[in-house]
Amino acid sequence: MTVKIERGQIVTVERGKRTARRLPGMGLLDGMAVVWKHWAGSFRKNQGFNDIHGVFTYEYPEERPKLPEAYRNMPILLYDDETSHELCTSCFQCERICPPQVIHMTQAKDPATGKPVPAVAEFVIEYDACMSCGFCAEVCPFDAIKMDHEFELSTADHQKLTVFKEQLNRPISYYERIAPTMWAEVRDGAMKKLQGNIKRRPDVIGMAPNLAEKIAARRRELEAAAAAATAPAAPAAAPAEGRKLTPEEKAAKLAAIKAANAAKKAGDTVEPPVAPAGAAPADEKAARLAAIRAKNAARKGEAPDAPPVVAGEPAGEAPPADEKAARLAAIRAKNAARKAAEGSDGAPVEANVAATEPAAAPPAAGAATSAAEAATAPADEKAARLAAIRAKNAARKAAGGGSDAAAPTTTGNVDSGGPGASDDAALS
Amino acid sequence: MNTGKLAFPMPLPAGVGTPSAPGGLEGQTSQEKPVRISVRRSRVDGCSTKDPAMFKTEELQINIGPQHPSTHGVFRMLVTVDGETIIDLKPVFGYLHRNHEQIAEQNTYLQNMPYTDRLDYFNSMANNQAYAMAVEKLAGIEVPERAEYIRVLMVELTRILNHAGALGFLINDMGMWQTQLAFGMREREKILDLFEMASGARMMCNYFRFGGVVRDLPPEFMPKLKELLVAMPAFVDELERLLRENEILMQRAEGIGILPKELALAYSVTGPVLRGSGVPYDIRKAEPYSVYDRFDFDVPVGSVGDVYDRFLVRIEEMRQSKRIIEQIVEQLPDARGGHINPRARQNVRPPVGDAYARIESPKGELGFYLVSDGSPRPYRYKVRAPSFINLTPLGDMCRGYKVADVVVILGSIDIVMGEVDR
Amino acid sequence: MPRLSPEELRERMARDLPGAVLEATPLRVAPPPAHGPQPAPFVTSDTVVAAGQIVEAALYLRDTLGYAFLSDIAVVDYLADGIFELVYRFYTIEGGDGLVLKVRVPRETPEVPSLTPYWPGANLHEREAFDLFGIVFTDHPYLRRIYMWDEFEGWPMRKDFPKQGDKYIGAEE
Repeated sequence: MTVKIERGQIVTVERGKRTARRLPGMGLLDGMAVVWKHWAGSFRKNQGFNDIHGVFTYEYPEERPKLPEAYRNMPILLYDDETSHELCTSCFQCERICPPQVIHMTQAKDPATGKPVPAVAEFVIEYDACMSCGFCAEVCPFDAIKMDHEFELSTADHQKLTVFKEQLNRPISYYERIAPTMWAEVRDGAMKKLQGNIKRRPDVIGMAPNLAEKIAARRRELEAAAAAATAPAAPAAAPAEGRKLTPEEKAAKLAAIKAANAAKKAGDTVEPPVAPAGAAPADEKAARLAAIRAKNAARKGEAPDAPPVVAGEPAGEAPPADEKAARLAAIRAKNAARKAAEGSDGAPVEANVAATEPAAAPPAAGAATSAAEAATAPADEKAARLAAIRAKNAARKAAGGGSDAAAPTTTGNVDSGGPGASDDAALS
Repeated sequence: MNTGKLAFPMPLPAGVGTPSAPGGLEGQTSQEKPVRISVRRSRVDGCSTKDPAMFKTEELQINIGPQHPSTHGVFRMLVTVDGETIIDLKPVFGYLHRNHEQIAEQNTYLQNMPYTDRLDYFNSMANNQAYAMAVEKLAGIEVPERAEYIRVLMVELTRILNHAGALGFLINDMGMWQTQLAFGMREREKILDLFEMASGARMMCNYFRFGGVVRDLPPEFMPKLKELLVAMPAFVDELERLLRENEILMQRAEGIGILPKELALAYSVTGPVLRGSGVPYDIRKAEPYSVYDRFDFDVPVGSVGDVYDRFLVRIEEMRQSKRIIEQIVEQLPDARGGHINPRARQNVRPPVGDAYARIESPKGELGFYLVSDGSPRPYRYKVRAPSFINLTPLGDMCRGYKVADVVVILGSIDIVMGEVDR
Repeated sequence: MPRLSPEELRERMARDLPGAVLEATPLRVAPPPAHGPQPAPFVTSDTVVAAGQIVEAALYLRDTLGYAFLSDIAVVDYLADGIFELVYRFYTIEGGDGLVLKVRVPRETPEVPSLTPYWPGANLHEREAFDLFGIVFTDHPYLRRIYMWDEFEGWPMRKDFPKQGDKYIGAEE
């Protein structure tokens, strides 16, 4: 069968000699002529890609070729020269995509709250197994990891080929120098994202660790700012403004909420978010402010959220640790409340506290809670709502379980929440 | 006894190495099957096989390889020789088996791309092309025109550099040391510089993505390519002139390792080996993929099917590749689209199904068979490696020749062990 | 010589080789996930041939239809369906798309007649299938392992081959 092809011919190659040679061996000499030409040409330098003769040896290491921008050898991490913040946020994209799985990292955590922060704590790359594919640089959404041009990495020490963040860090100016066009394409987006990330990094987390002076300088800055700050640290007002909180404010808020929950669990009635004693000044202020607000709300509500809290707390089900914490929080709350309410009437507070009746029905609880909600700040609302829901559930459970629906039996020294109960009893 | 002048080509003495001797297919004894090899045996020195009683010779089984400078990688041939003449040859593979297919089942489709580079490590762009095509077929991703042109450009440059290197290694195997190899390597260096400019690495390019290529050609690429094209004809002519009419080469290559046309297809060989045997099957023309149907180029075929034919076919293919690249340079500025399909996701999750895509890689038909189960990882990933299949007739091509010819025949098949063993 | 599409091939083969063409039952491919959407079953559009008749079918392709070039024999291990599927790919040198024949054998007794006597090129394909999956090709002249060493036990590419640990290396780990 004959095969037909389009746009071309089927060409049978000619075998044998093209020109008739008079003597055998002339073909050899013809080839030698080619070699001769190359040899004669080897006394001058090669002119470029359009020249096939000439010497084009790079006398390495004295003479080095200029590597193209896209050249990729091993990955490096970038940090910003000015702010000295690393661009890496530990999003794990490079770790996921790496085919030989040589990238490992851990995310930085905020020491105060324990929440993850967009910065990287440790970063390890095993250079010996890296296949230089460049995927990590391709997928990085923050342009933090890029491919370096350095290829003279031979070492006799195998351990050295597992490189850590300190050795991987390079300033952006370095990358700009080796790959200007590629950096120019992504610079704006990367810097914008970096600014956003810097805002979310508390303290000096995320700064390149080798820049010790800069880190020290920044620390000093932050401390100065904290000391000088007085009223402005009113984080309780912050949420109402709708602006995002700084990590410190977030920490304060979280602490306040935790305390409130603990207090509620312990059967504490009116007490909304209260910061544990010994917190930063900002926290205490927040706590105090919140306590005042709660008191006001309580006064407005007048027999408000007392029932829900008391109506059958799942006291018996709370594990011992929680009980302890609840107790502590309750005591603190009480103290704080007393301090806060010093100026005004402590009586209503106590009366309300004393009026904690165990046998309030869940619907009443719900109503009371909503009444209380109307007056308090959103943070308190949330806490109160949460407490109310918990109370409802607890009441339902207690109704089913039937035990003492009394106030927090956590301390054990509680009489069933009679009106004459002391503060301690009611609160604990 | 043969003394004096060698008549060329040599007639086959009767009785030597007939197919009914321990031969046939790898130990297969005679069967009444229509396929039979009648290969012309090499010249005899007149002594050994005809007269064993005189010299009390016996057959010896020796290894060529796996550590051998001329076996193109870790490749072992178990040869049974009688003196210097090969009675039987069995290739033994597996020394570079890296379990590529099973590793690929653990990686996502994108993570497999750098592993395909390392299959036929000499021509990484061709591997990328075949794999990208297979995944695109499976997932239904389209490739814009400009990206197709860039891909074809890269593969044709790969073809030139593969043939330059392969011929150099062949000539080296013949004993002419590395003259042609060095000249070929010098041009290869230029093309590798181009690859470095475009993709970032010389050999393990990892340049192709699903839906296109990873980044567009940098501005300094085209001027350099045009410079290269200026010198390309001179280069190929020089390579040809160096050794084409060289009497020693002709003696060592003509009539050696003949693969007859009728058998070539039955042996499933592809690429220059098939075309050297006279079968004009080139996938770029037979089943055009990518944008190959827009270019004019010829398909060189041989007539006899020996080492010399394959040598000539490869040189001619270099010229045709240069023709294609010139047409690309002309047509590329008018190509529409970007360098990658912007809607193509690299973390593909193809629908359940299978797909096979094959390309004309410089060594033959390189195909990827992918089966997807809907997850981001392939369920089955099979590579149809040309070098592996082209080794099928090795035993039969070598029977009756000398040990030195085995090396030459192996060099003319042009294998790379990364593909053979995967 | 006609260039056929898979449906046409199936029709012609069903007509000319009775009993060879089987129904292409849907395959589950992967085991169904515990929750979430179930992936669609895989229904192939290629011709499925009975294992005992593969040689006839292949010769039919070569002699009657002109598809003389056997390009590839691939094996897929469908663990969830309990079969091995062998995919034979044929092309004609006049060009164009190829034709595919698929053979399904049960995983416990995978035996298929070998194509090697007619297509010497199938030799290495079948040896690879034997080595990696354990499929026994009857009438193969030299069915030995090709990648692994001869004494190796186990079929590495099967889906139930353990990927961790190795009784040769690390068995004591």
